Amino acid sequence: MKPKIGRALVVGGGISGIRAALDLAETGYPVTLVDKAPHLGGILSQLDNQFPTNHCGMCKMLPLVERDAGSQYCLRKGLFHENIDIRTSTEVVGIEGEAGSFTVRLKKQPDFVNPETCIGCGECTNVCPVEVADDFNAGLGKRKAVYLPVPHMMPNTYVIDPAACTRCGECVGVCPTGAIGLFRQGRQDFSVLVVDDEYTVRDSIKEWLEEEGFSVETAASGEEALELLTRQTFKMVLLDIKMPGMDGVEVLKKTKEIFPEMAVVMMTAYATVETAVEAMKTGAMEYLMKPFDPEDLVSKVIAVYETQEASKGEQISAGTVIFCGGTSCYDPSVGKNTFGYKQYPDVVTGLEFERLISGTGPGSGGLVRPSDGKPVEKIAWIQCVGSRDLQSGSDYCSGICCMFAIKEAMLAKEHGPDNLEATIFYMDMRTPGKTFQRFRDRAETEYGVRFTRGRVHTVYQDDKTGKLLLSYPGDGSKRIESAFDMVVLSTGQKPASGAERLAEVGDCELNQWGFAATEPFSSAETKKAGIFLGGSFSGPRDIAESVISAGSASLLASVTLHATGGGMAEVVGDTPEYIDVSHQTPKVRVLLCECGSYGNVDLEIIAVSLKSDPAVEDVLTVPGVCTAEGWDALVKTAKRKGYNRLLLGACMPYAYTRRIKDLGAEVMLDPSLMDVVDIRTPWIISTDGIPNASATQQAIIRNLKSGVSRLIGIDPLPKSSVPVIRGALVVGGGVAGMTAALSIANHGYDVALVEKETGLGGNLDWLKNTIEGWDAAAFSENLQQRVEQHPKIGRHLNSTVISSFGEVGCFYTTIETREAAPVTLQHGVVIIATGGGEAGTEAYGYGKSPAVVTQKELEQKTFSKEIDYKTIDTVAMIQCVGSREEPRNYCSRVCCASTLKHILHMKKENPDLSIYVFYRDMMTYGFTETWFTEARRAGAVFIPYTVDARPEVMVEDGASGVSVTAYEPLLEARVQVNADLLVLATGIVPTLPVSLANAFGAGIDDDGFFMEAEPKWRPLDSLKEGVFACGIALGPRSITESVATAQAAAQRALRILSKTALSRASVTARVRHSLCSLCERCIDVCPYGARSVDIDMQRVLVNATMCQGCGNCASECPNSASVVDGFFDGRMLDMIDMVLD
Amino acid sequence: MAKTALYNLTDGGLQASLASLFRSMLEQGLVSAVMAPMRLSPGGGVMQTLVTDPAQMDMIDLFAPSFPLNAARLVSRLSKKPTGGTVAVVLRPCEIRAHVELVKLKQGSIDDLIVVGIDCPGAFNNADYGKIAADERAGFTDTFLSAVLSGETSFENGLQLSTACRACVHPVPHGADVSIGIFGIDIDKQFLLGAETEKGEGILDALGLSVTEAPDKRDAVIESLIATRETFRNEMFEATHEKTDTPEKLANYLSGCINCYNCRVACPVCYCRECVFVTDVFDHDPYQYLRWARRKGKIRMPTDTVFYHITRMAHISTACVACGQCSNACPNDISLMELFSMTAHATQAAFDYEAGRSLTDDPPLSVFKENELADVVEVKH
Repeated sequence: MKPKIGRALVVGGGISGIRAALDLAETGYPVTLVDKAPHLGGILSQLDNQFPTNHCGMCKMLPLVERDAGSQYCLRKGLFHENIDIRTSTEVVGIEGEAGSFTVRLKKQPDFVNPETCIGCGECTNVCPVEVADDFNAGLGKRKAVYLPVPHMMPNTYVIDPAACTRCGECVGVCPTGAIGLFRQGRQDFSVLVVDDEYTVRDSIKEWLEEEGFSVETAASGEEALELLTRQTFKMVLLDIKMPGMDGVEVLKKTKEIFPEMAVVMMTAYATVETAVEAMKTGAMEYLMKPFDPEDLVSKVIAVYETQEASKGEQISAGTVIFCGGTSCYDPSVGKNTFGYKQYPDVVTGLEFERLISGTGPGSGGLVRPSDGKPVEKIAWIQCVGSRDLQSGSDYCSGICCMFAIKEAMLAKEHGPDNLEATIFYMDMRTPGKTFQRFRDRAETEYGVRFTRGRVHTVYQDDKTGKLLLSYPGDGSKRIESAFDMVVLSTGQKPASGAERLAEVGDCELNQWGFAATEPFSSAETKKAGIFLGGSFSGPRDIAESVISAGSASLLASVTLHATGGGMAEVVGDTPEYIDVSHQTPKVRVLLCECGSYGNVDLEIIAVSLKSDPAVEDVLTVPGVCTAEGWDALVKTAKRKGYNRLLLGACMPYAYTRRIKDLGAEVMLDPSLMDVVDIRTPWIISTDGIPNASATQQAIIRNLKSGVSRLIGIDPLPKSSVPVIRGALVVGGGVAGMTAALSIANHGYDVALVEKETGLGGNLDWLKNTIEGWDAAAFSENLQQRVEQHPKIGRHLNSTVISSFGEVGCFYTTIETREAAPVTLQHGVVIIATGGGEAGTEAYGYGKSPAVVTQKELEQKTFSKEIDYKTIDTVAMIQCVGSREEPRNYCSRVCCASTLKHILHMKKENPDLSIYVFYRDMMTYGFTETWFTEARRAGAVFIPYTVDARPEVMVEDGASGVSVTAYEPLLEARVQVNADLLVLATGIVPTLPVSLANAFGAGIDDDGFFMEAEPKWRPLDSLKEGVFACGIALGPRSITESVATAQAAAQRALRILSKTALSRASVTARVRHSLCSLCERCIDVCPYGARSVDIDMQRVLVNATMCQGCGNCASECPNSASVVDGFFDGRMLDMIDMVLD
Repeated sequence: MAKTALYNLTDGGLQASLASLFRSMLEQGLVSAVMAPMRLSPGGGVMQTLVTDPAQMDMIDLFAPSFPLNAARLVSRLSKKPTGGTVAVVLRPCEIRAHVELVKLKQGSIDDLIVVGIDCPGAFNNADYGKIAADERAGFTDTFLSAVLSGETSFENGLQLSTACRACVHPVPHGADVSIGIFGIDIDKQFLLGAETEKGEGILDALGLSVTEAPDKRDAVIESLIATRETFRNEMFEATHEKTDTPEKLANYLSGCINCYNCRVACPVCYCRECVFVTDVFDHDPYQYLRWARRKGKIRMPTDTVFYHITRMAHISTACVACGQCSNACPNDISLMELFSMTAHATQAAFDYEAGRSLTDDPPLSVFKENELADVVEVKH
């Protein structure tokens, strides 16, 4: 992929950071991705299962087009993309400049272990004497000071925790590749000048420091010191104050004149403390009192050294910055801690629970009590710990805890004994996602998870049984006490620990809840132009919402780069040219890294064995290829001709992806004809704990032979590509459609916007403002004007799509416009933004009395001032009318917020108005919770009901109002409300025509919404490439959320539109037509819709761009007529056969 | 069955009446051609024959206990693309079921066909039929029919029907447009014509046959036949399982295989244009054989025989109709039908699928279900 001008910086390598970085990298921008942790993945690296699928699907975020540009393995292990420069253990310490040209200062933690040479053997960990709590396992279990931050990471480079490390040096001695000890190397370059008139003092200091690896020079007087300072470079000066001749303070002043940054530590006896204080004012860093403990002095020097190392910082230029700083988890041990967290070992947080049941967790996946290892039979989840809690300063809902608690309860049921009881104590079970309510129902009905409404105040431990006692409210005033083996606290999301500092660095603001503040109608825009927010940094979000907001941020970043001239203009780069070897007999050159001899294996014997294969041309050795010299030697050897396949026997094959590409360009051999085989891992073969050299040798030979066999079978085909029509079709002219159209058109691509109504605007025709008080009407008006004036957007009003055919890169779509002939448009991608509307109802007396209205009618009547709130006394509101139960068993997300908006408005108009809200669960996720609090403060009464006991509405003939009766659980009685106005929250239904979805090959879910390729990881894509959706077509959402989906969908589209042609990846399926019987089973099983049958040619065709190389077709095809390049059956059988030798 | 009619025999008995039935279908233009088992010459063997001339219908012999090939392969050739006329094809139930599988594999269609299914009295294997019917072929079918319908299981020289036929639990056609029934019918006087589809009803109407119920005893006769067959089949499965339940036993069972691939040619649902075992996938380099021999000191030649059968089992287990042609085709008398039908029976049961049952059941391997076969994949849900 050719790079474009204009770099983006993404701060934070969790889900949203990875998404944003990939988005921009895939559109061709170079990206720098930094994370302060030593690994990517954020909190997701600790979570094995994600709701509502209860498994992981992170890899689905990997590139789907131009796949060869990036890694295609488990994303939890690591990420590689040729346009992404990943900097772990790195923080952003400064941002200057403005959108289009920021100068960013990065600070990297020093690498104590050289990632280039660490081979992940773990010898260092074995000898490390220091044990600290294991953060990866949420503090459960222990780890060493030198450790693997994530057990499944690739490359599996060890790191040292500088805070825990005692610098004992044990690990340095055992490291087979000398990867540890960089800090000693660095210390040699750190020269210290010791100035003291007393010989013994300066000499012993010299000795102490040299023992620690520092370079030391000494001076006996001030004059000598100044002389040395001008001749040599020093990083630090240790300076005695009281010296004959020029005294220390004088030397300090002169030194600071020449080297203002020099670190100077004064040394003094008690008598001259005042002088020392004086010296501090002159610029000394610190002073040490004589006589001093050698350890104190040495640790001072080390501290200065490490600070200087750490601040070595690097400056990079970036046109735009995205903050994806994530959140932190609430710590329940702070404050009153009524749940006894950290006090009772069996009280754990949600994250700790996930680690406990993880296969890579402290207990290797078994569900046992942390206190005594006994099996768990009864578990309670307590919701809203550190969320929806004014006492802990969290007047917001964390949004994810209800779902993860349900997931954990289901996992507990799966992992635990059959009689396991799982109970969730909750206030409102918040399931506001498209499939979440059904997930909850499944947990209850299929898994038998119990849901108990009520806030638990305290957890006690029964001293006799060790069990945990919970007391919670039953109906009315009754309290129930129950014993549990384990209590899981569903801890909420807090602003990230570094949020304040990062906001300061980026000159953005924090909102009242402590998260990064966003602009109205955006989840990504900040006050500062060019700096955007992705994921939960701007508020609690689940994975899907984080992915969407990251997409929104990357779109805005891309617009910034484009608009500030960074542009999409392509930099002309050299496309590597390869020699055509397709008609040559395979000749494999095997290069063995000499590190291999470490395990007492004989490379000579290995070479002889390999040469018995006639396809092996020669076997050569190179010195340690992980070192720079080794690599140079390898390149030199590879340049010698006489072969057409290259197999390298080394370690960590996945670390060579980029190097192999470079090597290919250098020796003009297609990188797909080169491969790396791990000849190091087999070293683990041992008999009775003693390494077995001959077995190891055999294993290495088998692996290498298998690798040779694979290479022989690779047949490099000329790269084909699919041309791209660089224009988009957007169906639907509501807020989502307009935003998507503008987002694409602002990159200079043509957009056809099709709207079936006479004007644009969609639901914003009637929706006038939001709960935040933002002016939706003005927002819509502004969007409409920008669309109308945009030269790249063609509007097709009164129009509908009647048919379409084609595939990603080129669709032909015919649209019909009222009173005009149909026209056919050609476009490369399509975005479906057909929206939705308010659901109709016949329940609760609707239609029988003018006093019963829907939320939409209320909005309209409020805006038109048809209702005068001053003249009425009582309003009743019923939530979830026809919602969250079959057949419309999903939450519409917006109705609860809408109810609160109206309550606050009505109360403002008439503070004496009585308002009763009948609800099942108030879905005020995120910051909306604050308005829920406000509405209750304003005096609105909230009465919960269940579907078994719904409110009853009586409409009497001639009466102006209605009466609502319902059971009130606190009063334990039925109450009757005589209301002048009854508002029904009926929810949202989609208006996505089946014919439209079918025309583009998009799926529709059971509720009529667009079916995403994957609900969490690919929330905007159809399984069919090139077809996307946004707004309510995807599922119910607010205006801000719709805008985010529209921008994110546009970003997905730009991956394709930014290229003139999409090239075929090296691992792609094809059909050997002479063998094909045209049974078409491969077409049925292709999950990406990449296959079709050409009736005229009597052939099955594969769209090389849509194909993801998954191999379903090849497995289904009985006679290998369908094959996946690089995985041809014959070769695979040979490879397997080789390792069985 | 949607509609039935009893067809009274004319002079000349069952064969002559059937010939006249198909003759009138051709004469009335209901079909453009008829494909049916027919004697090639008065003393010759029986083979499927495509007839367009009504005058050449006389030698038809639908019930001859001769089953030289599963005709689904022929029907696939006739129907893969538009035929240019309607063809009535007369098939045994296992042939119809194989054709249904082939249609689902896009190797044929039913659009231009009138599928005529017969109540199948079974057949001998090829070698036995040659012996038993050597001298009096023309009259043999009538003798055979009356014997088999009266419950006879052992014939001259103690010969029996092929094992596949004795183990067949689908003796009555299912999914045919028109069916010809003989079980529970007095075939000296009449046979039963049934129509299961609209197409079939059209034929019955056009032939002017009045609707008559099948005789009451028919169901009982069929039921008892199937029960006997099922018992035999289950015993056969048990015995075969015992002989093949370890890799060593299985290799021994298949030890006579010479890679002639006759079984794959004879199999009606082995539909590949070219078997993977004769493609480059199994085109081993010469040095490979030596490597294999070295590994254990010896290697059976030809290689890949057990692998071939296991692969074929994997490929056709969901589509196998247990017609037995594989056994019929084997030059070395390997009991392939027993092994393949046993495996197919279990595989199809696992997917709640039955080969040939319906055109609308999707083949199991073309359907993705997230949570299935939990006992196999050991995922708890």
